Amino acid sequence: MIIYILVALMFFTGLYGIIAKKNIIKIIVGVNIVGYVTSLLFVIFGYKWDGIAPILTQDMNYSQFVERAVDPLPQALVLTSIVIDLAFVAFLAALAIRIFERYGTFDIDKIRRLKG
Amino acid sequence: MNHLIILPVAIYLGAGFLIPLIARKDEVLAGIAGVLFTFLVFITSLFLSIDVFTNGRIVYFAGGWEKPLGIALMLDPLSCLFLLMTNTITFIIMLYSTVYMKKFTGVPYFYTLFMIMLAGMNGILISMDIFNIYVFFEVASIASFTLVAFGLKAEELEASVKYTVMSIIASTMITFAIALIYGLTGTLNISAFMSSSAGLSPVHLWFIAGLLLSGFALKTALVPFHSWLPDAHSMAPAPISAILSGMFIKVVGLYVLIRITTNIFITLPQIRIVLLLFGVFSMLFGGLMAYGQKNIKRLYAYSTISQIGYCAIGLGIGGYLGYLGVLMHFIAHGFSKALLFLNIGAVEYMTGTTEADQLKGLNDRMPVTTLFGSTGMLGIAGVPPMGNFWSKLIIIIAAIQAGYPGIAVLCIIVAVITLGYFLKLQRTVYYSRAEESVKAEAPKMLLLPMGILAVLVFISGILLIPGIRQHSLDKAVSVMENFSYTDIKTGDLQ
Repeated sequence: MIIYILVALMFFTGLYGIIAKKNIIKIIVGVNIVGYVTSLLFVIFGYKWDGIAPILTQDMNYSQFVERAVDPLPQALVLTSIVIDLAFVAFLAALAIRIFERYGTFDIDKIRRLKG
Repeated sequence: MNHLIILPVAIYLGAGFLIPLIARKDEVLAGIAGVLFTFLVFITSLFLSIDVFTNGRIVYFAGGWEKPLGIALMLDPLSCLFLLMTNTITFIIMLYSTVYMKKFTGVPYFYTLFMIMLAGMNGILISMDIFNIYVFFEVASIASFTLVAFGLKAEELEASVKYTVMSIIASTMITFAIALIYGLTGTLNISAFMSSSAGLSPVHLWFIAGLLLSGFALKTALVPFHSWLPDAHSMAPAPISAILSGMFIKVVGLYVLIRITTNIFITLPQIRIVLLLFGVFSMLFGGLMAYGQKNIKRLYAYSTISQIGYCAIGLGIGGYLGYLGVLMHFIAHGFSKALLFLNIGAVEYMTGTTEADQLKGLNDRMPVTTLFGSTGMLGIAGVPPMGNFWSKLIIIIAAIQAGYPGIAVLCIIVAVITLGYFLKLQRTVYYSRAEESVKAEAPKMLLLPMGILAVLVFISGILLIPGIRQHSLDKAVSVMENFSYTDIKTGDLQ
C-alpha cells in the first residue's frame, strides 16, 4: 500500500511543478517527473517479488512458471509511454529555445501577448 | 475486405514520410501528391462507410492474433460517420492549403505533420483497445502541437506552449487511468474490460471514469478545461485552425467521450450529469466571450467552445433525440466552422490582418469570399435551411422531453447570442463602407474549397430526411443506444 502512496506523492510533485512553477524549464522537469510516475505505476502492476523473466524453458513446469514469471505486457506498455514522454520533453525543450529567442525570458508571466 | 480497415491509417503514415522525398525533386509535385493521397483516403473511407452502413460493423484483429491476444480494431456506423466526416473535410482543406501554405517555408514538413496528425485521428476511430486509442491520441496531439507553432512567430510559440502543457496534463490523467485499468482487471481491450468491470469496487470505477472524463474533456475544451483553445485555434495557420476546430477536437475528444459514456461506463449514469453541466457552462461562457472579441479568428475559436457545449448537452441528455442532436450538430458544425476558418484565412491572405478594427467593406473588395463567409456564419447561428438549425432544434426538444426546460431556454438564449455576434461581425466587417475599395478577390484555388464547403453547409440538413436518416444517422444512434460486444454475424469483440 505504501508504494502506491509514494507514487501518488511523486505524481503530485510533478503536477505541482507543471502548475505552480513560472519557469518553462521547471515546467519541463515537472512533465518529466509526471511521465516517470505513470511508467512506474505500470511497472509496479507487473512486478513480482523474486520474479523471473517470462521465458519458458524446458526444465520448468507451467504452474511454477505462471507463479513466478513477471507480467511482460506492462514493460512493453512502458516502452511506448517512455517514447511518448520523450517526444513531449524534446518538443517542449525545442519550443523553450525558440521562446527564449523571441521573448528573451523563460518566465511564463512575461510571455503574455495573447489575451481575452 | 476486412483488411481494408487499416488503410486510412496506413496510407497517411506512408504518405507522410513519402512527401518530403518527393518535395526534394519538386515542391509543386509534393502538393499534388498530398491532394492525391487525401483523395485516396477519402475514397477508401467512403467505400468502407458504404460497406459498414449496409452490412454492419467490421471487426478485425491486428496481426492475425486470435481474440484475447490480438489488438481489436472495429469500424461501426458511429466511427464510420466520424471517419467519413474527417476525411471529407481533410480533402477539402488539403486543396486549400496547396495555395495558402505557399507563404510559409518548409511546406513539405507541413504535409508530413498534417498527415501524421490525420493518421492519429483515423487510428482513434478504428481502435477498440484503450492503449491503442491512447497511442494514436498522442500521435495526433504531438503533430497538432507542432502545427500550431508552424509559423514560428512569438504568439504562435506562446499558444503552442500553453496547448502542449495543458495536453500533457490530460494525457497523464489518461495514462494513469489506463495503468489502473490494467492493474485492476488485467486487460486493455475495451470489451474485456466491460465484462470484468462488474467485479470492481465502485470507488475504483469512479476513479477511473473521473480520470478518463477529465482527460478527454480537456481535449474537447469543455469549460473548466478550455483555456488553451482560443490561443491555439486562433494562432495556427488557417487550414490547421479549420481541421483543429472542425474535426480534431471532435475526434480526439467528443468521439472518445461518446464511447466512454454510452459504451463503456454504462453502469455510471451520473457521468451524464457531469457532461450536462460542462456543456451548459461551455455554451454560455463561449458565447459570451465570443461577443467581445476583436480578433476574428479568436471569435471563431470561442464560438467553437460554445458550439461544442451543445454537443456535450445532447450527450448528457441522452435518449434517441439527444444522440441524434449530437451527431447532427457535430456534422453541421464541422462543415461550417471549417468554412469560416478557411474564409478568414482567405481574407488574411489578401489583406494581411484578422483584426476586426482594421477590416472594413470586405463586400466591395472580395464579394465571393464575403458570400461564403456569410453562409458559414448563418450556418453556425442556425438560420433555418442549414443543418445547425435542425440540430439545435432537436437538442432543445430533447431537453424539454427529458425534463430540463431550463437548459432548453439557455440553449435558445445562446443561439440568439450566437446570431448576435455574427450579425455584428457582418455589419462591421463584411457589409460596411470603406473609403477606398479596390476589388481584389482571393485566388480561385482558395475559393473552390470554400465553395464546396458552403454547398455542404447548405445541404447537410438532408441527412435528417427520413429515408436518408434510417440508413445513416439512425444506425449510428443505435450504436450509442445499445452497443453489443457480441455479434454472431460480424464476430465477437471479446
